[in-house]
Amino acid sequence: MKRRRIFPFAAAGVAVALGLAACGGSSNKSAPQQKSSAYNAAINGVVNPSSHKGGTLTFDLSSVPDSTDMGNTYYAFMWNTVRLYSRALVTYKSVPGAAGNTIMPDLATSLGQVSSDGLTWTYHLKPNIKFEDGTTVTSQDVKYAVERTYAKDVLPNGPSYFKLLLKDPSYPGPYKDKTPGKMGLTSITTPDASTIVFHLAKPFSEFDYVAALPQTAPVPPAKDKGANYQLHPVSTGPYMFQSYQPDKQFVLVKNPNWDPATDPNRKQLVNKFVFNLNVNADTIDQNLFHNFAQVDMAGTGVQAAGRARVLSNPALKANADDALSGFLWFTYINTKVKPLDNVHCRRAVEYAADKTAYQTAYGGPVAGGDIASTVMPPTVTGYQKFDLYEATTKPHGDVAKAKQELSACGHASGFSTTMAYRSDRPKEKATATAEQQALSRVGIKLTLQGYPSGKYFTDFAGVPNFVHSHNLGLDIGGWAPDWPTGYGFLYYITAGPAISPAGNTNIEELNDPAVNSMFDKAVKTTDTAARNAIWSQIDRRVMSDAVILPGVYAKSLLYRNPNLTNVSLQQYYAMYDYATLGLK
Amino acid sequence: MLRCPGCPRAPGLRAMIPFIVRRLVITVFLLLVVSMITFAIFFLVPRLAGQNSYQLAVQYVGRNPTPAAVHAIERKLGFDQPLVVQYGRFVRGIVLGAHYDAGPDKTYCPPPCFGYSFRNQQPVWPMMLSDLPVTASLAFGAAVLWLVFGTAIGVLSALRRGTVFDRAAMGIALAGVSLPIFFTGLVALELFSFKWPIFPNVQYVGLTQNPLLWARNLILPWTTLAFLYAALYARLTRAGMLETMGEDYIRTARAKGLAERKVIVKHGLRAALTPIVTIFGMDLGLLLGGAVLTEFTFSMHGLGLFTVLAIQNNDLPEILGVVMLAAFFVVIANLIVDILYAVVDPRVRY
Repeated sequence: MKRRRIFPFAAAGVAVALGLAACGGSSNKSAPQQKSSAYNAAINGVVNPSSHKGGTLTFDLSSVPDSTDMGNTYYAFMWNTVRLYSRALVTYKSVPGAAGNTIMPDLATSLGQVSSDGLTWTYHLKPNIKFEDGTTVTSQDVKYAVERTYAKDVLPNGPSYFKLLLKDPSYPGPYKDKTPGKMGLTSITTPDASTIVFHLAKPFSEFDYVAALPQTAPVPPAKDKGANYQLHPVSTGPYMFQSYQPDKQFVLVKNPNWDPATDPNRKQLVNKFVFNLNVNADTIDQNLFHNFAQVDMAGTGVQAAGRARVLSNPALKANADDALSGFLWFTYINTKVKPLDNVHCRRAVEYAADKTAYQTAYGGPVAGGDIASTVMPPTVTGYQKFDLYEATTKPHGDVAKAKQELSACGHASGFSTTMAYRSDRPKEKATATAEQQALSRVGIKLTLQGYPSGKYFTDFAGVPNFVHSHNLGLDIGGWAPDWPTGYGFLYYITAGPAISPAGNTNIEELNDPAVNSMFDKAVKTTDTAARNAIWSQIDRRVMSDAVILPGVYAKSLLYRNPNLTNVSLQQYYAMYDYATLGLK
Repeated sequence: MLRCPGCPRAPGLRAMIPFIVRRLVITVFLLLVVSMITFAIFFLVPRLAGQNSYQLAVQYVGRNPTPAAVHAIERKLGFDQPLVVQYGRFVRGIVLGAHYDAGPDKTYCPPPCFGYSFRNQQPVWPMMLSDLPVTASLAFGAAVLWLVFGTAIGVLSALRRGTVFDRAAMGIALAGVSLPIFFTGLVALELFSFKWPIFPNVQYVGLTQNPLLWARNLILPWTTLAFLYAALYARLTRAGMLETMGEDYIRTARAKGLAERKVIVKHGLRAALTPIVTIFGMDLGLLLGGAVLTEFTFSMHGLGLFTVLAIQNNDLPEILGVVMLAAFFVVIANLIVDILYAVVDPRVRY
């Protein structure tokens, strides 16, 4: 993802993703370890396990959701939150550690049954799952929910994977659909009330991850209010909307028609959830410390002042978790801006960069993260550790090797280029300044240019023509995946077909036929282990192409209020699992 | 008050009606001009700088926007129309209302319709109305505090000029003027909400919902805001009092045997009130448009916070709406101030 925290998912700190079944449906071999409160206890265990019921759990958020409508939201914290009032076809396991990346059936009885040609995915719904009003969920409700994602003029925020992958991309959306019952999307069929079949344009072996998107949470057509559905989405989860004041607060109460027997992933413990919006970020930390609120909804960690306080106070530190967030902070090295069109010049940048300074600019090992040597972070399935440019062995850079690469690209005394960064992000500015100094050691002169983050991808770094005309050879950025596999992480930042004239995320404009064909092969590979191996190969090839300078595998220092029960870090969302929380 | 046989009497309300009507008509034109300027700043200037409607629409399509999605939003929000048409639609909505395509059906936004938020597609006017009580509570409560304490301290300082009290009061006033609200507010929160939870969990609660909690949760924001303004008013009142208490008619009043309190309040303070009334009207009018820093510091969802978010999100309908509302408050506040002049100072004629 290109901006702050979309789908961060945390790792346990040890790379265990290799070999993890992306489409696995089997449960864990052992129950999650139950832990008492200690620093990082919630990363691999459940803190304060309890079945105690009652109370009001308060969340504070420093901004507002892009939408509370499950079909119209694209932030990780909202995808975590909507599980309180909605159920998708499949979902991520509510367990700590790496197993949290595993998807399992939710509304469906099993993961998708795929045809031999890979073009048809079938799901069967569990019987008698009800909406909050007691009506039974049908396959047509799920189909309608997916149809809504095509109405980008009404619901513009959510991802567009269904439109990209299914056979009928020209479907105008249900609000312009003239067919009876507004079931005009031909690429989804519902042979009976409990069966839904997706017809893909091309094989896509990771379709279960697409089915895990909250966009498959059912919407009854008669209750759909389009842009206003966000005010009261009809619930299939353990909680339902009681009230919503846009930009201020929304409140969830227990859904009497939720059946826990059909839903092992969620709990219904507290009586009420209150979500306070637009709360000052520093006030949120204080509210957590003083129990005026129990959860920071954004899940991106405490602010600088709060961090200093937590780390210096043993009692507070025992309630903190420093987790990998699933983000990689890095720098794109553009392949079209001379002389970086030469791989040796790009490798010179890789060797000369000061990775320690990069980490320091982002806040150091605790607040910033771990020095990165790969494009895929350890939280992604398929991650393999390697280090082509001595990022971890010579973190201050290797000036000698950088100079060798410069000679190989015909610029022995260096070259000049411009480095773009988001001007309203102090960490990126600090990174740019640090790397300007680091690269100057080998004669690479950087001119620093800041651009507003709101338009960084739409008007500046994400517009190839602008990049070329303004000599933006290096562009600072960050990314987190839509789902925790190599495809989810790598495709939009390294695949040739992902390059677009505006809003471009493959900013380095890598169009390597070898990389592209590996992606094509991977999406047709149904064997999980074989597919995961391809992701690692892509990662290694991309690093060999030297089009991305990895900075840090980002971390967030989260504070867990001691009054919370059943607290664990959900790896995919990279924050506490909201679907299991209770209060003492 | 001293009677002046040859002096004109204060005008009655009836005599001021033509004046009030004239000012209200001017208000309408003024608001139109304000809306044009705001529209130009946020829409015309970026166009002149080279931004096209596609680039503008991309901001409202969430992440990884596809060209089809961007074009759909471009059409939906009217960015593909000429600016004059877009502005015309906006003004028409205020006067006649507007229909909005929410998906399954069209919703009607009655006048005054300031359009729908680009960000959350909710009508702007109800959102502003729901924020207004917060700002009004903050503004009026703080206004009472700063007026009472500011003028009282100013009067006392003037009467005890040069004393320890005067020096201390003016010194504190200087601090009040110098310290930014986001500093005093955060210090107040840290001390009185977190460290010593005398006012724990400061959140706005509606007056009709729980009057006691409403007042309790507003004490810190009131005092923070009033501290700044009271300082200004203390200094202003002191200066005004020092001037008027030196006038001949004050000496005459004392010579005639009037009680000192009457001399100070009825003759001295009343004459010194004119500039204070002027400033008070302006300050209150501006605050009703949103006490930005105070609301931000205390996370109170008033018009100030609404404005900040609207600008951050480049949400033009919200920006236009709040700017016009704020301008309206300033204009009306000035009108009330002008009316009050006639009450305070009978020499004023309209």
